[in-house]
Amino acid sequence: MVARHAKPAFTVRRARFIALCLLPGAVFVALFTYYPMIRGAVIAFQRYNLFDLTSTPFVGLENFWSVLAEERFWTALRNTGTWVVVSLFFQFFLGFGLALLLRRQFRGRGLYQAWVFFPWAMSGFLIGLLWRWMFNGQFGVINDLLLKAGIIDERIGFLASPGWAMTSVIVANIWYGVTFFAIMIMAALQSVPPELYEAASVDGASRMRQFWHVTLPHIRPTLALIVLLRIIWILNFPDLIYSMTGGGPAGSTDIITTFLIQQVSGGDYGRAGAVGMLALGLLLAFSIFYLNVTRMERS
Amino acid sequence: MTSSRLAAPSALLAAATLVLAACGSGSGSSSGEVRLRMIESLTSPDRTKLIKSLIADFEKANPGVTVELVSPPLESADQKINQIMQTKKDLDVLEVRDHTAKSMSNNGWLAELPTTSWSGWSDLTDLAQKKAVEVGGKPYLLPYGFYQRTLFYRTDWGMTQPPTTWQELYEAGKKMTTGDRFGYSFRGGKGGADYAVMMISAYNGESVNPEKAYYLKDKRTIFSTPEATQAMDLYLKIFKEASPPDSVSWAYPEMVQGFTSGVTGMLIQDPEVIKTVQESAVKAWSTSPIPKGPTGYALQPVGYAGWGVTSFSKHQKEAIKLVQFLSEAKQSIAFAKGNSLIPISKQAQDDPQFSQGAWKAYLEAQRDPKQVITIRPVDYPGWSQFGIDSDRDVQALITGKKTIAEVLKSWDAFWADQAKQVS
Amino acid sequence: MRRLGKVVVLGAWLLITLFPLYWIVVTSLKPKAEIFSMPLKYWPDAITFEHYAELFSFADFGAYLLNSLIVSLVAAAVVTVIGVIGGHTLARFSFPGRGAVMLAFLVTQMIPLFIALGPLYLLMSDLDLLNRLAGLMLVYVAMLVPFSTIIMRGFCERIPAALEEAAQVDGATRLVAMLRVVIPVMLPGIAATFIFAFVQCWNELFLAITFIDSEDSKTIPVAMNSFITQYDIDWGSMAAATVVSVIPTLVLFAAIRRYIVEGLTAGAVKG
Repeated sequence: MVARHAKPAFTVRRARFIALCLLPGAVFVALFTYYPMIRGAVIAFQRYNLFDLTSTPFVGLENFWSVLAEERFWTALRNTGTWVVVSLFFQFFLGFGLALLLRRQFRGRGLYQAWVFFPWAMSGFLIGLLWRWMFNGQFGVINDLLLKAGIIDERIGFLASPGWAMTSVIVANIWYGVTFFAIMIMAALQSVPPELYEAASVDGASRMRQFWHVTLPHIRPTLALIVLLRIIWILNFPDLIYSMTGGGPAGSTDIITTFLIQQVSGGDYGRAGAVGMLALGLLLAFSIFYLNVTRMERS
Repeated sequence: MTSSRLAAPSALLAAATLVLAACGSGSGSSSGEVRLRMIESLTSPDRTKLIKSLIADFEKANPGVTVELVSPPLESADQKINQIMQTKKDLDVLEVRDHTAKSMSNNGWLAELPTTSWSGWSDLTDLAQKKAVEVGGKPYLLPYGFYQRTLFYRTDWGMTQPPTTWQELYEAGKKMTTGDRFGYSFRGGKGGADYAVMMISAYNGESVNPEKAYYLKDKRTIFSTPEATQAMDLYLKIFKEASPPDSVSWAYPEMVQGFTSGVTGMLIQDPEVIKTVQESAVKAWSTSPIPKGPTGYALQPVGYAGWGVTSFSKHQKEAIKLVQFLSEAKQSIAFAKGNSLIPISKQAQDDPQFSQGAWKAYLEAQRDPKQVITIRPVDYPGWSQFGIDSDRDVQALITGKKTIAEVLKSWDAFWADQAKQVS
Repeated sequence: MRRLGKVVVLGAWLLITLFPLYWIVVTSLKPKAEIFSMPLKYWPDAITFEHYAELFSFADFGAYLLNSLIVSLVAAAVVTVIGVIGGHTLARFSFPGRGAVMLAFLVTQMIPLFIALGPLYLLMSDLDLLNRLAGLMLVYVAMLVPFSTIIMRGFCERIPAALEEAAQVDGATRLVAMLRVVIPVMLPGIAATFIFAFVQCWNELFLAITFIDSEDSKTIPVAMNSFITQYDIDWGSMAAATVVSVIPTLVLFAAIRRYIVEGLTAGAVKG
C-alpha cells in the first residue's frame, strides 16, 4: 500500500496543504452534486407537485409509501435486476474474451483495436437511437437479415412486444458495453508482472492453470472495482433505454431510472424524489454488501 | 512554503473557472434596447423557421425590440419551460398548451392578457375567444390554432366509401390487412389512451357531459358503463386484426410514417398531417370526419396551444405586443397555414385553403350536430399523471398483460377520485 | 488451428461491431424516400449528401461542433488537473478522514441524476450560469472529478514514493518534484483520464439539454436531440449527424489509443 516509506508527521502545515489540494475537487462536488442532491432529498418528504407549487407542505413518508404501494415500482425493480445482471454478464465475459484474444501482439492489432473499440466513442443516447432504427418492425435491418437467413418467417416488432423489448435493449447494451470491459481488462492484464509467469512456467504450470492461479488472483481487485462501477453506471444512466423504448411497451423495459424520469415528467417531484432516494439507498446498500464480499475494503 | 506553492495553482484554477463563468457567452442587454426572450414547445425545424420569420416582421415593426427565440427539443420542451418558470427569470413570452395552462396559472406564472382593449380580439373566432379564457376563467393565452382529428384514408386500397362508424372502420381495416399492408395506424405508444377515450366517448354518445368529457351527465365517469366495455372490445379487435403489430409502441411520428410510407391505409390525426401527407409519396387519399359510435355520435376535444406572457416579465408591455402581433389575422393565418392548423381568425373562413381538399372534412364535421366538441379535464390535478399511467395501461391491454375490465376499473376509480378532489 | 479459431472469433466480433456503423453510414447516404422503402437496400441506388448539406445549412452544425469541442476540451483538462492534484494527495498522505473523502467521491456516482436536476437548475440560475458554455463546463467538471481523482490516486500509488523523495533531497520543493518526476511517469494515466473525460463530456445529453437552450450555446447532443420532432424522426439527418459527431472522438482515440489501454485501469489496479 501507500505506507512503504515513513510518512511525515501530521502537522498543521501539512493539514493545510492537504486541504488545499483537495479543495478544488471538494468544492465542485459539494456545490454541484451534494447540494442539489440534498435539496432533492428534502423534496421527497414534501407534497411537491408541479400542479400547484404554491403550497408544498411536509408530508413525512407519504411519497415513499405511495411509491412502494405501486405495482409499477416493483416491476421496474425486477426489470432493473434483469437489465443489470444479464447486460453485465455478457458484457463482462465477452469483454474478457476479447481482452484475452487481444492480449498478445499480432500484426494489425492496433488497427483492430481502433475499430473494435468504436462503440465506446458514441453516446448511449445515440446508440439507443441507432438500435431503435435497426430493430424497427417494418424497416429495421435486423428483421430483414433474419428473414433473409430464414431464421424467422415474419417480421418481429422487437421493441413493440413485451417479450422481445427487454431482450432487444439488452442486446444493444451488450454491444455498447463490451468495449469498456475489454479496455479495462486489457489494462489490468498488462499490469501482471512477467516475473510471475516466468515463475509459474518453471513450475511447469499449464496455460489454464497459469490463468487460474497467476492471472486471475492478480487482477481480481481490479475486476471487482470495475464491475462495481459498471453496475452503478448501467443502473444510473438510462439514456439507452430512454431513447430505445422509453420504458415501454407496457412498462416491460422500465427500470428504476426510467420510472423516475416518468415521475418527473408527470410533475410529481415529491414522488420522483422518493423514487430517487430509494434507488440511491438500494445502490448504497448493494455497494457496501458488494465491497464486503469482495473484501475491497482492505485496500 | 510547499503548501503555498501548490495552493497558488489550485487557487488560480478556481479563479479561472469563475472568470470563465462570469464572462461566458451570454451578454447583457445594451442600453435602451428591449430584449424579449420567447420559448416554444411543439418544436419542429420548419415551424421554428416560420416563427423566426414572423418575429423578424415584428422586430421590423417595433424598432428597439429584439426577440430571442428558444427552441428546445420537442421531447423535453414542456419540462424545460416548467424549469425556467420556476426560476422566474429571463423569460417573457412562451407557448402555453391546454395541458400546461392550469398548472402554470395555479403557480402564478402567467400574466393576464388584455382582450377587449385590443383591436384584434374581435377578429378571433368564437372558439378562439372561448379557449383563451377556458382555463382559470382568465385570458392567460391567445390560441394560435386548433388541432382536431380527422380520418385520413387511402382511396386506392379497395375502399370506395370512408367508414362512418368504428365498426365499419374495423371491418374495412381488416379487409385491407394483407401481408405487408395493414388497415389502421394504431396508436399504442405515447398518447395512445386518447384514442381509447375517443372510442369510449363515441359509444357513450349523448350521455357524456361535453364540458367535462371524462364524466357522464349523471356524474359517473365515462369508463363505468357497459358501453365503455363494448368500445374497448372493438378497440382491441382493431389493434389485433387491422393494425401492424409494431404499432404497440407507435406514437405520433410512427403513425404518420406508417400512413405516408404505405404500411397502413387509415389514420386518425390532426390537420398538421395534411401537409405531411401532401408531401409524401401517397397520392390517392382523402379525408372524412372521425367515425361515430353505435349511438350516432362522435365526440372529441379540440386541442389547442397559444402564446402567453410570463407574470415576471420585465418587459410585459412589449411581450404582450408580441403576442398580439402573432395573433393578428395576417400572422395567425400564415402560422395556421404553415403548420396546417385550424385558424383562429374570422378572416380565414374566406380563405380557400381552409375549405377545400382535405379540409372539407372539417367543414363537414362542423356542420354535423352529432360531431360534438368536448372539453377534457385538463384542469384536474391528476391530468398529467393520468396521461402517463393510461398510456401504459393501453400498452398493457393490447399486449395482453391486463384485461379490459381491469383497465376500465382503474380509470373509473382514478377519475371518480379526481372528482372528489376537485369538488 | 488455434490461430484460425482466433481469427474467426475476432473477425466475427469485428463484424458485429462494425455493422451498425456501416448501417448508419448507409442510412445517412440514402435519399429520404429510399430510407422508407421495401425491400431494404444495403447500398443506396443513388448516393446523396443531402442530409449532410442540411446539417450544415439549416442547423448551424459547425457552431455546435465548436461549442462541444470547447466545452469538452476545457472540462476534460480541468478535470485531469484536479484529478492529478487530488489523487496525488490521497495517495501520498494518510490523514484522518481520507476514507471518508474517498467514500464521498464514490457515492456521487450513485446519485440518480434526476433527483438533483431540478435543484441544480435553480442553483445554476441563481449563479447566472444557464445558457453558458462555462456553466456546462463547471457541471461537467463536478460530474467527472470523482472518477478522475480515484483513477489518479491509484496511479500515484504505483509510483514509488522514493522517486519523489529523491527529488526533494536534491532540494526541489514538493511541487517541483511532482512536476518533474511524477507527471512524466503518470503520463499514460493522465492521457487516459483526459480522453475518458473528453468522451463523457462530448456525449453528455441530459445536463446539456437542461442547462442550454439558446442557439449559440448548443452542443452536439442537444442539436441532435432536436432532430427528434413530433412530426417525424428525421433518420437521414440523425444518421448524418451521428457520423459527423463520432469522427472527432475516433480521431482522438486513434491518436492516443496506446495510452488508454495502458492507462485507464492501471490507475484502478490498486483500487
